[in-house]
Formats: sequence, structure tokens, C-alpha cells
Amino acid sequence: MDELIIKTTNLTKSYGPHVALDNLNLAVKKGATGLLGPNGAGKSTFLKTILGLIQATEGEGTVLGHDIRTEGDAIRARIGYMPEYDALNPDMDAIHQVRYSGELLGMNPTIALARAHESLQYVGIGEQRYRNIGSFSTGMKQATKLACALIHDPELIIADEPSNGLDAKAREFMIQTLTTTVQSGNRSVLMASHLMDDVERVCDNIVLLHKGKLAAQGAIEDLKAIDREIEIHVWGGATRLEQALHADGLTVRREGRVMRIAHTGEDTSTRILRCAAETGAQVRRMHEYEASLEDLFLVIMENLGYDVKSSEDLLASPALARKVDAPAHMGGGGA
Amino acid sequence: MTEEPPLGQDAPPVQFDAAAPVTGQGRMDAAWGSTAGDEDLSTPVANTPAASGEIFSQEYKPWNGELNPRWMRNWAILRHHLLGIFKKGHRPWGMPTRLFILVVFIASLSNAGLTLISGLIGESTLHQLWGVSRDNLYGHVLGFFPRNVLYYPIIAALLVGSVISEDRQHGTSALYFSRPITRFDYVGMKFISVAVIQSIIVLLSLTLYYFAEIIALGRGWAWIMDTFPLFLAAFLSGVMLVFTYTSIGLALSSVSKGKFFPGIGLLSIVLGTKVLAVLVSTLFDREILYLLSPYDCMAHVGQTLIGTQPTYDQYSWTWSLASVIAMNAIALYTLSARVSSMEVTRE
Ligand SMILES: Nc1ncnc2c1ncn2[C@@H]1O[C@H](COP(=O)(O)OP(=O)(O)OP(=O)(O)O)[C@@H](O)[C@H]1O
Ligand SMILES: [Mg+2]
Repeated sequence: MDELIIKTTNLTKSYGPHVALDNLNLAVKKGATGLLGPNGAGKSTFLKTILGLIQATEGEGTVLGHDIRTEGDAIRARIGYMPEYDALNPDMDAIHQVRYSGELLGMNPTIALARAHESLQYVGIGEQRYRNIGSFSTGMKQATKLACALIHDPELIIADEPSNGLDAKAREFMIQTLTTTVQSGNRSVLMASHLMDDVERVCDNIVLLHKGKLAAQGAIEDLKAIDREIEIHVWGGATRLEQALHADGLTVRREGRVMRIAHTGEDTSTRILRCAAETGAQVRRMHEYEASLEDLFLVIMENLGYDVKSSEDLLASPALARKVDAPAHMGGGGA
Repeated sequence: MTEEPPLGQDAPPVQFDAAAPVTGQGRMDAAWGSTAGDEDLSTPVANTPAASGEIFSQEYKPWNGELNPRWMRNWAILRHHLLGIFKKGHRPWGMPTRLFILVVFIASLSNAGLTLISGLIGESTLHQLWGVSRDNLYGHVLGFFPRNVLYYPIIAALLVGSVISEDRQHGTSALYFSRPITRFDYVGMKFISVAVIQSIIVLLSLTLYYFAEIIALGRGWAWIMDTFPLFLAAFLSGVMLVFTYTSIGLALSSVSKGKFFPGIGLLSIVLGTKVLAVLVSTLFDREILYLLSPYDCMAHVGQTLIGTQPTYDQYSWTWSLASVIAMNAIALYTLSARVSSMEVTRE
């Protein structure tokens, strides 16, 4: 479904002379979206603006069809916000804290209590829910914050650094919970994070901010395609094979007997093997090389400047994109 | 000793019997996985976390109930603070605060109790001392010692102590502001909560005192008609007292992160300015400084309202009223400015 849940046009927010959000034109689809960017990129500012908590200086936007400038209340009733920092009273029991967070949305106390049990169960706080939050580990606090956000079963969960400070197991569980929420709960998640791995596992789409500007947005799959290559190790006849591949119209980078061929379609590997068969070169190893989100992030940040707006723009200059992440011995890295 | 050939030299081939648990194949499996998938395409899948022995199945449970409108959200904030005084599961007031509220409530009912006793045993001197009269009504609300030294300001200080500052400290402001609650409703409900608890002590005890007199001495309509305006004036003074303590206290709570500063601050404003005014007036015979003391100004206004002998007779009571209003205005301005600039998440 191409249903847009968040859309902004020329959204700008300045703190005095400092521009925290610069002319953002964003379109976030239903599903899971990662909001990436280095410190100070404007992620938290963006989240606050779309929640109607701070007024945009210019531009407009809608969240779930509500205007961010005038209908902040309606937006905040339909989303669940999981803040970055502690937001729980350490002297309260988890169950009552979560219940109260539901009552603050207008749920009546009995229903809020029933839902609090359900959502704490869902985030894995089983019998500990009667314990003081002050005695909780960071992971349990994080889960309790998520339970507070989920209590009214919102259409959109906005999570600021959900896996912040968690150990491997708790982080795994948080990721799994968010994924389940998206996949079996059919909800949308917008998560701000520094951890590419987490974003990659939960999200299908990303929005990349840098210094308040939009650096890239789109499906992770599409963005990654800018840097997909097939690496082969050739034994015998490497030069013949290289020429054959060139003749076949493929882009090849070669370093000795290692070659990387740009992935141009599903038939790329078949074409490589056919060329190898024709030239009599042995292909000893062959594997697909795909950029990780981390690589992609660096590519976009360091090489393409901040003017890239979409995956099409990125795809338009793949050669440039490749410069950074190829290992030095392959002629990359010198960017 | 058994004969052990030195390692690596003519060691006999290792022999295992059929039941030996570890074989070369076993070791290879351990090192490189198994042979599964070498020939036919099947993907080895790692065990899911569910296999770790925990009985937990995560299931997303949807909910599509209706959310109630604004008044219900505000009611939730009020209930959270009020019920916290009596039971667990709501705002956790400290044990000292709760005990002190109980003690002060009982203590502030002392005149009602003595009135009841004087009515029951028919002791008239006791009644002259403690029964409902113009002076005693004034004293119940605005009397300096002990009520406005030991009871009401300390209650107010304990209550305002962390009511807003805790949200800054724990980051729970995010819980309010990421939900459809406006700053105005947030601060308004906190204000009302604190004021209601103080009212229970000041105003409810005043009302019980008045009714104790009616019941114990069997007062008729004529007496009620006579004294009701006094009761009303005392009640009004009580409202002024509670309102002023609350607004100054919350303003202090909104500028701080800690628990103690607002309470201590309130006490020093209420008692410190009073002491200062007394000092200045005895040393220099200048009384004007009482205008800086919230308690003195309210006492002056209260004396005029209830009609007791004024002790601040050098100046007009309108000065005091203006001062009370100005103090409240400054406090409320500070409070609203601080709350509207309060960060959503933790600062
Ligand atoms: N209230 C404010 N007044 C002035 N400048 C602000 C304010 N809030 C944020 N900024 C500035 O706006 C920019 C964006 O900040 P923001 O908190 O949105 O970044 P972020 O992407 O969330 O960073 P992080 O990854 O560290 O959370 C920063 O340069 C910050 O200094
Ligand atoms: Mg941030």
C-alpha cells in the first residue's frame, strides 16, 4: 500500500538564526520507517514538530491526515510516542504507570488497567509489572516506555532511539517487538536511531537527515541497489574474461584475479558464468556483494553531498557512490 | 605406569568403539556445521529465541475503543494526585507528607472537637474560648500561630515540593505532553490538585467546625442567619490563602528540578518575609514592609473581610489586597512562562 502517513512540504524550523530543519519535503509510507542522521541532524526536532509540540517556522505537514499546525491534539491521540530519555516515575509500579499513561489519553480507568496488563505482557514485562520502576533495568524501563506508547493501540508508533542502552538480548527483544508490531499488528513505526543494524532489521524505508536537510529517503532495498555488485575470483584467463564481460556490456572493476561486476539485473550472474564458459576461465568464488546500510550512510554523507533527495538521484550516480566502499586494493577508498 | 608413546611419534591410530560419542564426523559437524545443504538446497536455520526455555509468546492485541474527551483526561490528572494521598497506584506522595496531612487535619479540627465537648458537657468557659465566634473563625483560617506557622504553609510546602519539578526530574513531562494534554490543562490540573488537598484541611475543617457548633449547641436559624456571613467571609479568606500558597509554591516548583527547593522556598517566603516585617517594624517602627509578606497581606484582607480588630491599622486594607493580587500575578506568570517553555522530554 502506498498510503502516506506523514507528509511535509517545505517544513522549516529555526531556533533564532539556527536552522534545525531546512525545507523538508518528506513522504513517509505506512509500515516501518527509520529516521537516521548524525547527532544534531534534527531528528528529535522533526519528531516534535510533527507531533505539533513545537511550531514549524514555515511550511506545512500532515500526520495521519491531520494538520501538524492546528491539529496537534488529534495527532497525539492517534500516535504513541516513546521518548528518548527516561519518562517514568521510579516510585510507581509499572502497571500503574502504564495505566496512568492510558488514562491521560482519555481511557477510562478500568479499560486502561486491562490494556496496561496486555501491553506490558506484550513487551515482555510479565510478573515484574507489579514492581517499582525504580528497581527496573534499563531494558525493562525501555520496554515499559514502549508499553506506555502502545496502550491505546495507536496507528503510528514514534520511537526515539528505542534500543538505546540495551544489551544484546534486550535489544534483540526490542527489535523483535517492533517488528511484530509492524508485521502482525499491521501498525506503522517511525524510529529514530543511530544504529543502522536495528533500523535495517525493523524498517523497510529510511529517511536520512543531515544538518536539518533531507539527505535521502526511500526504500532500503532501492537505496542499496546503488551499490550492489557481484564479486568473482577467477583462475586462468582473467583478462579474457574481463574483455568478454566488457563486450557483454557489464561494468567490471578488476584487481588481479578478483573482479567486481555491477549488478544490473537478475540475469547478471548467468551472464558472468556464460562469459566464463565461453572464455574458458574458471570462476572459483562468486558472491553477491551488497552495501550495508552503514556503507550507504557513508556514501551518501561523504560523497554525494546533501543535495540528494531520492533513490533515483542516488542511482543516477552509482559510480561515484562506489568509490568509497570498495576495498583499497580494488581502487576504491580513495574518495 | 602405562607405556605412553611420546606425542607424534609412532602413535597408534586412535580407535573408538561403535558407541563412542565423538567421531571425526562429529568434530567436523561442530566445526563447519553439518553436511546438510551440500547437495540439495535447504537452508540451515538457527534456533529461534523461543527455544531458549522461556514460555512466552508475543501476540499483538489490537484495541479499538473510543478515547474520552478532554475533561476525562483532566479528571485523570486530578484523580492521580488526589487518590495518591489515600492509596497506592496513584501519585506516590511521600509517607511524611501523607502522615503530616493526617496530623494537621486532626489538629486543625481541635477547635471543632472542643466545641463538641463544651456542648456535650455544657461548659461555657470552654465554649467562650473555642466556640464559633468572629475571632475564632478568623483564627481558624488566618491565625498566625500555630496554623500559619506549623500547619498550612508546611502542608503547602510538602505538597508543592515536587508536583511539577518531579516531571522535570523524571522526564514524566513527556508522558503528559506527548498526549493530547495542553500546557494549560497540565498546569491547571496540578494547581487544582494541590489546592483541593489544602482545601480539605483548611476549608473542610472550617466547615466541620461550624457544623460542630450547630450540632453541639443546637443552634437555630436565627444564629445561623447571624453567623453565616462570618463563616462565608472566613471561607473566602481560606480560599485566598489556599490559592496564594498554591500559586507561589507551584511557581517555585516550576523553576526547580529538586524536591526541597520549592518547599523550603515557600516556607522562607511565607515566614521569612513575615519575620522581616516584624523585625523592621519593631526596630524602626516602619510597618510598610508587611506589604512584602504574603501572610501579613492576607491577614489584613481577612481581618477586613471577617471584621475582626485590624492589627495593621496604619494603612488601608486595599494596599494589602493589591499586594496579594500582585504576588499571585507574579507567581502565576512565572508558572505559566516556565511550563510553556518546559521541554517535552527530559532536560
Ligand atoms: N530548543 C532549542 N533551542 C535552540 N537550538 C535547538 C533547540 N533544540 C534543538 N536545537 C538544535 O537543533 C539541532 C537539531 O537538534 P535535534 O535534537 O533535533 O538533533 P537530533 O538529530 O535529535 O540529535 P541526537 O541524535 O543527538 O538526538 C541541534 O543543532 C540543536 O542544537
Ligand atoms: Mg534526538
